[in-house]
Amino acid sequence: MPRSLSRFFAVSTSLFKDARDYQILFLSVFLILGVSTRDWSLKPIAIALTFVTCWLTQIAMVSIFPPEASKQERWLSLKSATITALGLSLLLRSDSYGAIACASFLAIASKFIFRTNGKHWFNPANFGIVVVLLLDSFVWDNHAWVSNGQWGEDSLYALIFLGLGGIVLKKVGRWDTSFMFLVAYSLLEGLRNLWLGWTWDVLAHRLTSGSLLLFALFMITDPRSIPNAKIARLIWAVAIAVLAFIFRNVFFNADAMFYALFLISPLTVLCDRLWNAPRFQWLPRRFSIQT
Amino acid sequence: MKRFLNWMRVLISTALACLVVFAYSPAVFAFCGFYVSQSDASLFNKASQVVIARDGKRTVLTMANDYQGDVKDFALVVPVPVLLKEKQVRIGEQKIIDRLDSFSAPRLVEYFDSDPCARYEAYDRMRVGGATRASAPMMEAKASRNNYQVTIEAKFSVGEYDILILSAKESDGLEAWLIDNDYKIPKGAKELLQPYIRQNMKFFVAKVNIAELNKTGSQVLRPLMMAYESPKFMLPIRLGMLNANGDQDLLVYILSPKGQAEVANYRTIKVPSGDDIPVYVKNEFGEFYKSMFKTSYNKEGRKVAFLEYAWDMSSCDPCSAEPLSQEELRKAGVFWLDSPNSNQPSSRRIRPIFPPNDGRVFITRLHIRYNRDKFPEDLSFKETSNQESFQGRYVLRHPFKGETNCDAGREYQKSLRPRFEKEAQTLASLTGWNIADIRRKMNLSSLPEPIEVPFWENIWK
Repeated sequence: MPRSLSRFFAVSTSLFKDARDYQILFLSVFLILGVSTRDWSLKPIAIALTFVTCWLTQIAMVSIFPPEASKQERWLSLKSATITALGLSLLLRSDSYGAIACASFLAIASKFIFRTNGKHWFNPANFGIVVVLLLDSFVWDNHAWVSNGQWGEDSLYALIFLGLGGIVLKKVGRWDTSFMFLVAYSLLEGLRNLWLGWTWDVLAHRLTSGSLLLFALFMITDPRSIPNAKIARLIWAVAIAVLAFIFRNVFFNADAMFYALFLISPLTVLCDRLWNAPRFQWLPRRFSIQT
Repeated sequence: MKRFLNWMRVLISTALACLVVFAYSPAVFAFCGFYVSQSDASLFNKASQVVIARDGKRTVLTMANDYQGDVKDFALVVPVPVLLKEKQVRIGEQKIIDRLDSFSAPRLVEYFDSDPCARYEAYDRMRVGGATRASAPMMEAKASRNNYQVTIEAKFSVGEYDILILSAKESDGLEAWLIDNDYKIPKGAKELLQPYIRQNMKFFVAKVNIAELNKTGSQVLRPLMMAYESPKFMLPIRLGMLNANGDQDLLVYILSPKGQAEVANYRTIKVPSGDDIPVYVKNEFGEFYKSMFKTSYNKEGRKVAFLEYAWDMSSCDPCSAEPLSQEELRKAGVFWLDSPNSNQPSSRRIRPIFPPNDGRVFITRLHIRYNRDKFPEDLSFKETSNQESFQGRYVLRHPFKGETNCDAGREYQKSLRPRFEKEAQTLASLTGWNIADIRRKMNLSSLPEPIEVPFWENIWK
């Protein structure tokens, strides 16, 4: 093998040692897929603003709250900011740049403000989304919303999500959480369906929702904001499923999943205290970046 | 991982099996309620219009149906989220729905090319597209019997309608009650009634009182309006699909103080808009729109809702009809117009710190063509604060007809043929019409062939 080629491979393998690289790649694929085939009201400026705000906030926060990592590793924390920016771009819709910047800032800032022992209380993107949604409905019309139906219920998309999501989750070692969430949620929806007497295509329609899968595979699996111990993660995932189910079917809230995660998320701290397990680290061995 | 894969395999094959089973179940199909009739009138309805004015949990729902049988056979059963009292139900005006329809209708916009030799401002004109529809609805109730476990919660008359509000414990009882009271129930209704009973929904049953109808001197049934407070922002379509025949068209006009509404459990996409199409379409806009809608509907897999119009009701540009007056909006169910109660704590929000623009009305027109296969779940809606304006509009550009004896004029004439060809192709791809027919109708061959000037001609000048 020519030397240049082997060097290329060396670089690319080191690139994809970090599960975040996969996550960035796949979320970018979804974003491109969404913009090109799903006819969204996504504006390039809004996406750019999301990224810039996330990165700037990350840089500012890292310098205000310097982690115990080397300088070069701090730069790597921008990957986490990129994932958050991708998540926000995929899920949050707004016709106001102020709301987008606000959500991006809050998402990243939450990581530094609400943290215990280097773990976040909230999933950053989820925190940003829920806070601006709450601001939108309770404080003033800041024009932010989530389009739950945007992914439709295509089985093709479901397969893509499951496949790519599976790869990331295997890398991160957190597929149990998604699995448990989906099982618990499907079970609850299935029981409801059975009790109501709807035909099963109603259930199939609900469960193949692209938004649900995106949430299950990419949002509730962020290892930095979910419990370390496996048993704790399973309980945690069930709790989110139950709460999401209640919000959706009792309170008729279309954004149920996001609120459920928002409310359950801080319990991670408690879970980690109850069940001891090694903390998740993005990079193996010597690296220990605190994003 | 292996277990996970196995599990996924089971899940996916089960899902596929469900899809196959339901995709081939006989097509039973209509609206947020099914028509039940007392004779063998053709149970058939093709397009319904619904106006939903909603702020927080408060909803005013207006339903107009293009009932196509004899009005005396008309009867309507609609699941409603709450018990309705007499004061919550009234007769609406078809005229108001027609106004909303024409205000939000997809439109043609005409432009006239200016004289390429003498530039002056182009002006535009536009035409109103859209149709009006007749409404429909009916009844007489016998006493309820206890063994049906059906309770007549309210019984009253509004205009030409006799209305019952029923609550039931079992779908068997409700079905039996409806049959014993001379309602012709479509097959399979029982299975579909049960989920609504279980969800603790009530049934709004309306029949036409012929004597009252005769007093109005009209054979046309007026829309029914109901006002209620419920967190459910949905429209039951399952029941209506039961006796429908083929695809159903539903136009939903959602009026909100906040912004656009969308369907929460299906994709909502914008209807194709803004394209230049051949001028001759002016005379067949209806046909064009129908074909175009059908083409996009099929292209999107027949499982999306189409956004046809979204606009702040205080203005329009260009207007296909004058914006509705405050009085008309109120008749359409808009209850938050300078009403002192609109911000009471009982509504959805805590009183906003910065109160939003009171009296604002944003209209969203959704066109949903549904059938049993692709729309298994009732429609649930979601209001957003999206205030982006959108209209389905199609542009006709009339070429300049006068003399063009200047260089610019010759250039202009040369540009026409490719332009028309492009319009023909746009039209063909939007509607699926045969391009040869389009070219013939446009009379493309009558245009001078764009003569390619041999390159040497200009060299030796």
